[in-house]
Amino acid sequence: MAAVDRKPVLDRLAALVAGPFLLGRRALNLDWAQAEGGPPKPPPAAPAPIAITPPPHAIKRRG
Amino acid sequence: MKTRLPEHGPVETPRFWRTLDERIETPEAQRAAQDEFLPGAVPGPFDDVHGLPPQSGFSRRDFLGLVSATAALAATVACDRKGQGTVVPYTRRPVEIVPGVANYYASAFQEGRRVYPVLVKTREGRPIHITGNDEHPGVKGKTSPRAMADVLRLYDPDRLRAPKAEGRTVGWAEAESRLHGALVAAKAAGRPVLLISGAVASPTRKALLADLKAALPALEHLAFEPAAGDAAEEAAQASFGQSVDLQPRLAKAKVILSLGADFLNGEDPEALGAWGAKRRLKNAKDEINRLWVLEGPLTLTGTNADVRVPVSPSRLGAMAYALAKELAAKGVAVPAGTDLSSISAGVPAELGETSKLWSNLVKDLHRAGRNAVVLCGAQMPVEAHQAAHLLNAMLGSEAISGRAAEPLATVRDLDAAVQGMAAGRYAAAIFWDVNPAFAFPRASAWKEAVAKVPFRAWIGLMEDETAAQCQVLLPENHWLESWGDFTTGSAEVLQQPTIGTLYDTRHGEEVLLGVIRALGGHAPASYHAYLQGRWQKSLPLGTSFEQALHDGLVKIESKAALPAFRGASVAAAARRAAGSKAEGLELVLFPGFATHDGRHANNSWLQETPDPITKMTWDNPVSVSVQDAKALGIQEGDFVTLSLEGATLRLPAILQPGQAKGVLALALGYGRSTGGVAKGVGANAYPLMGLDPASANVRPGARLAKAGGKKDLSRTQSHHRMEGRDIVRSLTMDEFAHNPQGHHHKPELVSLYEDQTFPDHKWGMVIDLAACVGCSACVVACQSENNVPVVGPEQVARGREMHWIRIDRYYEGELENPKVVHQPMLCQHCDSAPCENVCPVNATSHSPDGLNQMAYNRCVGTRYCGNNCPYKVRRFNFLEYTAYKTEPETLVNNPEVTVRPRGVMEKCSFCVQRINDVKIRAKGEARAILDGEITTACMAGCPSDAIVFGDLKDPKSKVAQLVAASRAYRVLEELGAKPAITYLADLKNPPPNGASSEGGPHAS
Repeated sequence: MAAVDRKPVLDRLAALVAGPFLLGRRALNLDWAQAEGGPPKPPPAAPAPIAITPPPHAIKRRG
Repeated sequence: MKTRLPEHGPVETPRFWRTLDERIETPEAQRAAQDEFLPGAVPGPFDDVHGLPPQSGFSRRDFLGLVSATAALAATVACDRKGQGTVVPYTRRPVEIVPGVANYYASAFQEGRRVYPVLVKTREGRPIHITGNDEHPGVKGKTSPRAMADVLRLYDPDRLRAPKAEGRTVGWAEAESRLHGALVAAKAAGRPVLLISGAVASPTRKALLADLKAALPALEHLAFEPAAGDAAEEAAQASFGQSVDLQPRLAKAKVILSLGADFLNGEDPEALGAWGAKRRLKNAKDEINRLWVLEGPLTLTGTNADVRVPVSPSRLGAMAYALAKELAAKGVAVPAGTDLSSISAGVPAELGETSKLWSNLVKDLHRAGRNAVVLCGAQMPVEAHQAAHLLNAMLGSEAISGRAAEPLATVRDLDAAVQGMAAGRYAAAIFWDVNPAFAFPRASAWKEAVAKVPFRAWIGLMEDETAAQCQVLLPENHWLESWGDFTTGSAEVLQQPTIGTLYDTRHGEEVLLGVIRALGGHAPASYHAYLQGRWQKSLPLGTSFEQALHDGLVKIESKAALPAFRGASVAAAARRAAGSKAEGLELVLFPGFATHDGRHANNSWLQETPDPITKMTWDNPVSVSVQDAKALGIQEGDFVTLSLEGATLRLPAILQPGQAKGVLALALGYGRSTGGVAKGVGANAYPLMGLDPASANVRPGARLAKAGGKKDLSRTQSHHRMEGRDIVRSLTMDEFAHNPQGHHHKPELVSLYEDQTFPDHKWGMVIDLAACVGCSACVVACQSENNVPVVGPEQVARGREMHWIRIDRYYEGELENPKVVHQPMLCQHCDSAPCENVCPVNATSHSPDGLNQMAYNRCVGTRYCGNNCPYKVRRFNFLEYTAYKTEPETLVNNPEVTVRPRGVMEKCSFCVQRINDVKIRAKGEARAILDGEITTACMAGCPSDAIVFGDLKDPKSKVAQLVAASRAYRVLEELGAKPAITYLADLKNPPPNGASSEGGPHAS
């Protein structure tokens, strides 16, 4: 069964044309970061993994 | 298919019910029973993802959009290298660690005065799972849900990782120099120093505190445990002249009377083990105990009672003294100096219409004599405790033991300290692993007073409300990184580290050793050396310290008899009890199941474990009796204002069947203002506590009023309902004797499917509902073992909780005092599993040894299996719950169990990793798997041994023999799914109907 809320053909054609146009314009207007004063800063270093150390002097039951 | 018996009322009344809606059978409840998921659990096409409103319909356009998006997403996900890591070998492998092989260490966990000897499982050096120490003669390998969950606190991201001074991170040298400087100056000036710590259950810590006192004579030490119950402490001082640590010995008890004592709430594995042993009956001629419960709020112990009477807590003392008078009239000797003249004889007014019940209780206690025991809840008024001590002394009870304990500070002692601080008495204060800024009832007075102490230091794990008021913060090791020792009734227990310290932290004891040295005393640098030095001197001949560490304990002769009872203390307490009246609303403040006194509030495993009674998660609503709610016009979830002596809380209310009329109940430990998990969860009830230790937790004169508005409760009791079918069975001992299967008949099953064959093993489980108390230890054990994610309160409210095992709590009978049955419900591993047939991608299938198994990588999340499961035990990952987590949170994961991503169905696997572990070991040793060698996490965690797992193909196995037991039944057997789990019907042992409880095979 066809969907009841189908839009008129012209509307859909307009959306088909306008969609990429609007998206393209937006893409062109994106504010790209300007490379000023050398290379961009490196991302913050990932936190160092937590060091797992064996328990000193402990006696294990089994393993 | 509802179980409707003629003797249980009109035909339309369901025998068992879980919610008030179900009991009344509202149209909403009937509609909800038809739905697989709660409204809101299943998102609309874009709901919950982009914040758009749910779509009202589903058009072709939406469908095409979704197909395209799915294709795009599938392509994107397929290109993703999520989860890529690096596997590298150890450059220098620690000798203790073999990759892929678990190590086990014996250690111990302390909570208040209670000590839990535990066995800690580590993988690649990380502690990941905790069970009880099987070498300990008391706990026998069992422990509490909170002890098991505390492994999560080791990896809590909120832990303080380095010392702080005035809010900035500093080194230990600077922090300690400030502490030492302040204390040296205080000693020179001769001014007192206040030290507040938790309970001292460790002999070495006690010796250390004595050394500190010698080095700093003006030291004043308070041991503060806000959940210990001040009234219990006061009563012990009055009745025995000293602080006493009581331990029920239920193995010797034939009759148990509880005065608001919740000894089956999971905190006491020793009591639970003995309880379970007395309830796992093979036939009706076996001996069973009888539990009488007089209480106000419904407790877990109350739900397991054979006879339960709802009573206001303030009247418990009067009733217990009346019992003593009745027993004295029957010739039971009373301790010298006992004066009960203020107590009137006869049936208490509360039991006016049930005098038969009263006479049965008196006869039961009298006949059981030294095999009877009276237990009183820590939060109950002081006179109820004193009456319980008197009754035990009169009966000569062998079912309770006690030993001298280090005294605890009551709220009155703390109030005196506050006044001292406000008056400028102290030169310095040290708070060690306590949070009085949160737990002291007069928080504002505390804040003002503590600001007048010139130097304040804090030693602890996570910055809390008290830390915020201190200048120097000294981060402490978690107990899994620490040394220590404890005294229990039957063993001296050792605590040893199971991992090196994760951060720049130290033992609290080492900080104090440093103080002793700074003050001119002699002390070793490490607490390990201090402890070992003490132990080497006291070890029994032939036992090495290393052997003690291996076992985790040294057994000692138990010589814990109760101290002599002081009869002279009775007269005043009895007069006070006789004068007590239950007027207006009485508020009972009790430690939260999840939070205890607040120390566990940042533990998300515990926060999400449903409260065993209310089934609430992530909140502490006030429980109101059904009668009071009706009178005040309060409905479930309504916001109310609870006022008492100037303190007012606004919080939601829940209606609690079985709660005594005129009684309100509220859990402590919620409403924290710090902690990533704890902050803002629930309301802080400490401001409602009293400053009189005799009745600090039972407060008359509370006022309750509707505040407007309603809260969407994160409550699981209406989730996963099974449409009122014949799910749970409960028998009285009479029914068990005459009709062990109850009024149920085994259906004759006809199937079009061929029977499955199992060449080697057929794994199965038996759950004894008579032994299960509903403590939820299995839920926490499963969560820890199987990396079950936490979803948070909003998702729980939508029915999206992920627990693989749940405890269904069923009520039976009248709202005012229903009987209760708890039923653990998990995947039944059906031989003809309805879930397997409907999976379009064959992601769930049957293994050759009878497991219903999941292939997560194959699951596409249709949820057909969840819909078709009659037991409602499959859990769907509606959202991504784990992938975003980083260290240290991920360190708690069990590497043997896959962490499931979004969009995948999951469920109980019968701990297949444990099965395979034993299989591989047995194969390597060229032997067969032994019966009982495989333990699922829930079985190992169950303190009452209600769960048994094993091979159904082995007729000699325990599980196969239990399946043939007379109480055995399978849930929804008539559907023909052939579940692998067998339940044994619950048993209740009320006094037989008739003139007396005498006679009969199971009379006590």
